[in-house]
Amino acid sequence: MATTALHPAAPAYRSSLYDWVTTTDHKKIGILYVINSFVFFFIGGLLAMGVRLELAQPGLQFVADQTYNEIFTMHATFMIFLFVIPMLAGFGNYIVPLQIGAPDMAFPRINALSFWMLPLAGILLLLSFVTGGSAAAGWTSYSPLAQDRPLGAVGPGQDLWVVALVLIGTSSILGAVNFLVTMFKMRAPGMTLFRMPIMTWTVLVTSVLVLMATPVITSALIMLFIDRNYGGSFFDPANGGDAILYQNIFWFYSHPAVYVMVLPAMGMISEILPVFSRKPLFGYRAFVFATAAIGALGFSVWAHHMFTTGAVYLPFFSFVTFLIAIPTGVKMFNWIFTLWGGKLTFSTPLLFALGFLSMFLIGGINGAVSASVPVDFAIHDTYWVVAHLHYVLFGGSVFGIMGGLYYWFPKMTGRMMSESLGKVQFVLMFVGFNLTFFPMHQLGLAGMPRRIADYSSASGWNDLNLLATIGGFTIAASMLPLLWNVFVSLRSGEPAGDDPWEGNTLEWATSSPPPPYNFDHLPPIRSERPVFDQRHGDVPHTKTPPGPDRTQQIPAGR
Amino acid sequence: MTTDTTALTTEHSPVAGLAHDARGGISNPVLGMLLFITSEVMFFAGLFAAYFNVRANAAQWPPINPESGEAFHIAIFPLVGPATVLLILSSFTCQFAVWAIRRNDRTAFLRNIAVTFGIGVVFLIMQGIDYAELGREGLTLSSGTYGTTYFTLTGFHGAHVFAGVIMLGVVLYRGMAGQFSARHHDAVEAASLYWHFVDVVWILLFSLLYLLPGNAPRV
Amino acid sequence: MARSPRTGRSPSARFGIRALVVGLILVVAVGAAIAVGVDVALTGQSFVSSFFPPVAVTDQGERIRDLYGIVFFIAVAIFFLVEGLIIWTVVRYKRRPGDDELPVQTHGNMIAETVWTVVPTIIVAFLFIISWQTLNVVDTVSATPETRIRAVAGQFQWSFDYLADDGKTVLYQQFLPTGEDGGMTVPTGRTIKLDLTSLDVIHAFYVPQFLFKRDVVPGRTNSFEFNVKDSDAGQTFRGQCAELCGAGHRIMLFEVHALTPADYDAWLQARIAEKAAAPTPAPSGAPAPSGEPAASGQPAASGQPATGAGPTLIVSAINVAFEQTALTGPANTPFKIEFDNKDASVPHNVAIHEGSPTGPELFKGEVFPGVAKKTYDVPALPAGAYAFVCTVHPNMTGTLTVN
Repeated sequence: MATTALHPAAPAYRSSLYDWVTTTDHKKIGILYVINSFVFFFIGGLLAMGVRLELAQPGLQFVADQTYNEIFTMHATFMIFLFVIPMLAGFGNYIVPLQIGAPDMAFPRINALSFWMLPLAGILLLLSFVTGGSAAAGWTSYSPLAQDRPLGAVGPGQDLWVVALVLIGTSSILGAVNFLVTMFKMRAPGMTLFRMPIMTWTVLVTSVLVLMATPVITSALIMLFIDRNYGGSFFDPANGGDAILYQNIFWFYSHPAVYVMVLPAMGMISEILPVFSRKPLFGYRAFVFATAAIGALGFSVWAHHMFTTGAVYLPFFSFVTFLIAIPTGVKMFNWIFTLWGGKLTFSTPLLFALGFLSMFLIGGINGAVSASVPVDFAIHDTYWVVAHLHYVLFGGSVFGIMGGLYYWFPKMTGRMMSESLGKVQFVLMFVGFNLTFFPMHQLGLAGMPRRIADYSSASGWNDLNLLATIGGFTIAASMLPLLWNVFVSLRSGEPAGDDPWEGNTLEWATSSPPPPYNFDHLPPIRSERPVFDQRHGDVPHTKTPPGPDRTQQIPAGR
Repeated sequence: MTTDTTALTTEHSPVAGLAHDARGGISNPVLGMLLFITSEVMFFAGLFAAYFNVRANAAQWPPINPESGEAFHIAIFPLVGPATVLLILSSFTCQFAVWAIRRNDRTAFLRNIAVTFGIGVVFLIMQGIDYAELGREGLTLSSGTYGTTYFTLTGFHGAHVFAGVIMLGVVLYRGMAGQFSARHHDAVEAASLYWHFVDVVWILLFSLLYLLPGNAPRV
Repeated sequence: MARSPRTGRSPSARFGIRALVVGLILVVAVGAAIAVGVDVALTGQSFVSSFFPPVAVTDQGERIRDLYGIVFFIAVAIFFLVEGLIIWTVVRYKRRPGDDELPVQTHGNMIAETVWTVVPTIIVAFLFIISWQTLNVVDTVSATPETRIRAVAGQFQWSFDYLADDGKTVLYQQFLPTGEDGGMTVPTGRTIKLDLTSLDVIHAFYVPQFLFKRDVVPGRTNSFEFNVKDSDAGQTFRGQCAELCGAGHRIMLFEVHALTPADYDAWLQARIAEKAAAPTPAPSGAPAPSGEPAASGQPAASGQPATGAGPTLIVSAINVAFEQTALTGPANTPFKIEFDNKDASVPHNVAIHEGSPTGPELFKGEVFPGVAKKTYDVPALPAGAYAFVCTVHPNMTGTLTVN
């Protein structure tokens, strides 16, 4: 059995605050990302409660119109840029080097820099609330509303928003460079690309998307900043600019961004489903190609956000939008057939993965409905879209993140989380989520537009809005068992050991938490399930046995 | 007396794999720089997209300056043309420096890097003077779409030249401190890749802003 | 105590957890059933029809609704199929306690992959084709529409210009977006071409019963055509801005009134005649009388009337807000309001309501776009508390104390 000998495992010790602040260890940085992201998840969630409170009943009860505009703008901004994207980057940071058998990321100091730009950006965004009002033109920040003109985005709030987003974008891009070099250059011997776990593959494709798309929104934001502060004429028709140009550049990033937000979560459940079914992932190669196809196609569909502008070539964008449903469907069936014929254990990670499957199915279907241009003419900019985006981003990404949290918390901390509390959280979150967002399909179809602080009771939207608010409070309630679970488990959770779930991938071949530089020794890598192979030896399988090792051998002790 | 510095180099440390993949191929820093340059290309792509869109929608290009009543005009001489030639030259000297250090010729390497660095500084100065001149003639960021796109595109290019100059300065300093050899000069490779990228972007910009013919007024 | 390889728990703990899980599943099921029941009850309509857009009042909208029906049916079928598969799999393949044997380690199946690539492709191709066909019908603009109207969107109101056949000459401008004497009046049956222009930021013209919306983008003119069904003559449809446009986004409501072609022609002719009788408001600076032949139109700087019965109150508006919040007026005496509309191209007026802004309307001044001034003659009011409001922008309010 070939091994790569490194230093012996470091003795367990508690890191000081100084260690945490100056660390370049991908595991600590990953945890910092996760913690920071949860902080902004809660802030974004509070803002969402503000939205639901105001909309529960007709009449402006709590906030003025402009404040309401600030609330939903910042809700989306925090959730997208300071919660989902960095949370997935944080899990990637922790898990990817472990899964490929590497001692750390390729550029550890840049890794730390990438992280610390995020709390800074978050502080800028929080500051904007007290500097005369935050950005209030929607997270999409369309021009000319986002320009500095009366009745538009007056004041520094919008500028702070631009600066914060440029910071976050830079953090993402540097992170993507780091991930790609790590995955291409630092895989352990035997770890060919087609033996990398799907989680790692999704981070790879996500990093390509981040690398290629994020700079484009940086350019749009900078051009907006120049318009607002230096008399520029990019996007303001009053100065000879073009409002639609902003939308094209913005959505060229923001559509791939939604795949950035969902692909790693798909990777997470692609790790969870096989382990808790005790079978390999069905159709590994199909997964890789489907993920790559989604990534590539994701660059072609952006103008489906602009069907009603009258300025896009509708048939092309409708066609490619429908097309992207196909690789997504392939993945859905591959997940289901991973479960099929397996022996399922309904631990909390699996529950969240199953929730992901069902909710993302709905989100994918209602998205496909929107791909039909004439139908989109009716439902664009209504609550139908709010339902769609939350089904894919909350029902999809957040459920995936929760699954990943319960799955990898033992590896990160050495302790198991409470299954009972986890199940309570799952039920509350699942019920609350559907109660909140399912009625929004009906509200959107009935004609309720987005981004309105209030509605007339003559419209007939009262009851569904009240139902959605009750659901919102249920989601908020589900956070309590989560927080309690984290705190209790950190203090006195059952010790996890190396491999509490009988996992398949390399992170389960080392201690929980892993030592610095991750591995004392690596098992032989002959398939995408090296730990499974080590545990079970020669297990009969159908169709595609693990291939021969085509990599060179590295002599030990160099 | 020779000191054994092998322990200081990464290839003997436990984290050897972090910098050099024993399977060969380009080093991590060089791959990282190539990927970063890809992202920078996409950034300029966004700016270029805006420029093309603005040009296509304009009734006339260059547009009429409302103050003077005549079309805007940016001159290739005496500043921008020669600056372009200098920048192209600097790519050559930069590559000479890379070839020099690859064959361990530290003297030639330092000389060429210093020249490249110097040309970069001169380019920035020339651009600054050009900006001041244009400002005097009435062309600024707020001069409608023409001024906005011109100064945004060339300004961000200038910012990238500035970053490149700093990179070259660091490389020059480290080179003078003897930190580079034929076996270890990743930073030189990476910096030179960035510098070539900066040059290529300028050639594109120069062609589009100065050489591409304008549109006659549409009736 | 026996430990299962996965959860490592004792049998008694496993029983407790099993009970918990069963209990939770029951809660979920009951909760879901209640939610569905509540949803059905609250929507006040059949559960199924709440998943459809409103019945269309235009020919184009009807085509869209038919398309939606097909798309929705396929969507629901796929959902039940796949979700059913998930639920069945999850129920069927639960691990029996103590069963530590590995299941068959299937890695994949090329036939399966092919099937679930090809079948969705066919479904998706079908959906694309029928959508494209519908789009070609719904999104055409003909060379000679029978009626031409322009909707002008601004922060924060809609106004409607009725155009002559050349598409440019304005026959009549309607500044009130809602109400019996406001909104966009259209003939049924005829092809109506609507041009959309914006005064400032991006808005969107959306009528849920048309199943249609189109953005209103400054710097470009979007257009679309529609035919209101004959059976909907006499109806009023509500519309609303559907693109965030600032603090007043949610109040940008409008109405569409459908009349038979004959009624519409008569209506338009009456409006044109009305407009010819009353002079249009003069552009900025020159104050115009509000229709009374004995004009008192010379405002004095101090607000004292030059001629006329009562005092002249000064009211002005800019950036969709009144600059005054409280006025006082004389009881039982007619008085004047000199209204300075400083918002370029934005229509405002001053209306007086009893008690609060939503109280009964007692006086409504003529709506006109800025920058312009008008003087209104307000009839005598008894002492009391009133509110003054802009009829176009109901959030523009102030108090009027009459004593």
